[in-house]
Amino acid sequence: METLTHILNGFVVATQPINLWYTFIGVFMGTIIGVLPGIGPSAGIALLIPITYGMNPTSALIMMAGIYYGAKYGGSTTAILIRTPGEAASVMTSIDGYEMAKKGRAGAALAVSAIGSFIAGTIGVIGLTLFAVPLTSMALKFGPAEYFTLMLFAMTAVSTLTGKSPAKGVIATILGLMIATIGIDLQSGQARYTMGIPEFQDGVGFVVVVVGLFAMAEVFRGLEGIYRGTSAEAMKITGKLWLTRDEWRRSIGPIWRGGIIGFIVGVLPGAGGTIASIMSYTTGKRLSKHPEEFGRGAIEGVAGPEAANNSDTAGALVPLLTLGIPGGGATAVMLGAFIMYGVQPGPLLFQTRPDLVWGLINSMYIGNVMLVILNLPLIGLFVRLLYIPQGILYPLIVAISAIGAYAINGSVVDLWLILMFGIIGYVFDKIDIPIAPLVLSLVLGGMMEQSFRQAMTISGGDLKIFYGSAITVILLVMSLISVLLPFIIPKLRALGSSGDPS
Amino acid sequence: MTDRIIFVCTLLLAGVYFWATAQIPSLELGDPLGPKAFPRMLGVGLLIAAAMLLAEILRDRKTAKAADTDAMKWERHHWVVVAVAAWTALYIALFEPLGYMLATLIFLGGLTTYFNRGRHLMNGLTCVLFVVISYVAFTKLLGVNLARGIIPF
Repeated sequence: METLTHILNGFVVATQPINLWYTFIGVFMGTIIGVLPGIGPSAGIALLIPITYGMNPTSALIMMAGIYYGAKYGGSTTAILIRTPGEAASVMTSIDGYEMAKKGRAGAALAVSAIGSFIAGTIGVIGLTLFAVPLTSMALKFGPAEYFTLMLFAMTAVSTLTGKSPAKGVIATILGLMIATIGIDLQSGQARYTMGIPEFQDGVGFVVVVVGLFAMAEVFRGLEGIYRGTSAEAMKITGKLWLTRDEWRRSIGPIWRGGIIGFIVGVLPGAGGTIASIMSYTTGKRLSKHPEEFGRGAIEGVAGPEAANNSDTAGALVPLLTLGIPGGGATAVMLGAFIMYGVQPGPLLFQTRPDLVWGLINSMYIGNVMLVILNLPLIGLFVRLLYIPQGILYPLIVAISAIGAYAINGSVVDLWLILMFGIIGYVFDKIDIPIAPLVLSLVLGGMMEQSFRQAMTISGGDLKIFYGSAITVILLVMSLISVLLPFIIPKLRALGSSGDPS
Repeated sequence: MTDRIIFVCTLLLAGVYFWATAQIPSLELGDPLGPKAFPRMLGVGLLIAAAMLLAEILRDRKTAKAADTDAMKWERHHWVVVAVAAWTALYIALFEPLGYMLATLIFLGGLTTYFNRGRHLMNGLTCVLFVVISYVAFTKLLGVNLARGIIPF
């Protein structure tokens, strides 16, 4: 009953004019960020953190969440019109979406992704509302050992599931943890790995790492693409911005399925929007009466993945809000934002700041309504962004990143760091080392070390505490499974004779 | 080839990290683990990751699908990235001495002239407008400090 009051009160918070305004700003910027190549949701949120220091945390977090789920709407526009996913999770949409655009059905493809995103996004938020409370009551029983093993599970899952090679994912994870150890050790007050640079005493800020790895690296790739002449031209929107009765009938099933698949995949750490949309696509193809149309402009091939990658965002917020542990790169950046505002997400937050939590969750219902309006009648406005010459766009992204990085401490050291991490991000992309695990472990590193040391202090230095309770054992087993999974799956595929080529 | 270089770099990094960890002075007061224990675990973790990579290299060699060896091959377009990085480094070096406005104007002017060739009016207008608007918006409206440099306002 108390929860119901909190939820209803959350609607009051979410509908305050100031929060409606920031929801709008968030989803508006999210759509732009999704449409434009270069700054993705992770770097977009990171860049906003220093600028929003003085804001009230509820409004700031509502805005950042808006960027996160808004970017998924925008990403599909780029995928459909220039066959380049504006945002990584839109990669499946670019297959059939672009084929539809070539056939003159760009309008229908854009419409079905906006409507599908809306329905699935709302399914996701309903899921988030329903699952949040039971999970928090479980999470309240967590001690430092449980938290340590939970973080271990999140990291192993992300490191082995995101990239092509599990070993490289683990390398990225440990690099992130190592960067997190730079700075003054909180318990002993000892400076570690500061190399005599005074700015490093507070540690390497994750904002500069994220902006470097995501935004700067993308600038390098983009400018390289312009030089090689591989950057693509945008198609014009053709056809009515609505669905025929037949298209609607074919899309509704995949949208529902995609919404549910996306939410479940989103809750689990590691997998994320890209895997959710791939799963939704292959499920749609398997269940379809005419699978041969997939890849040649089937509307189901747009509806399913788009739905999945939108409900995935709401799913991904479940572990972040209830446990305080993100399951991927973008939610890791969100956690960084929470902490910067002095708000620690997790089960206690539902008791101490129900207004913030439920205001944030409920703002997503409203944000999704705003997004469907922005992305259907007003889509033409955003499409114009695609006609901005990339030779201007990419240099501007560097300048924006520089402003954001300099704004944190007013120090040039942060500018050198974004350049350095930009180069690292570019090289890592070429050699297939994934960066999402690095960002996740960088944000979680400090907490992970603290919970490890707290647990050891409680147990008097006995490692038994990490396998002493049912929860830790389950989490350790799940970590082990996620490490072994990439080795087991190929074997299982080999057993099944008619393996799906995709 | 690429993976072997990563393997060697990983081992080197683990070595450097172990060495740097040993340099941390520790007092071990009231904290059974001290500031070195967790870093040592990370060093071991990196060695395990290197071993996993080695296993992958050997597996791929067996199945002879290691066709991705050209990832490290130097090509002409990589020079563009080097040039952009160097130009950005120059921008950062001039950021405080010249100030945000002037340094950014030079930086943007150079890049747009090369990458958006021939459209001088469009490039010039965009750069000037962006620099002025962003400076005013951030320093005057949002209260964010941007280097002033040699410009007196």
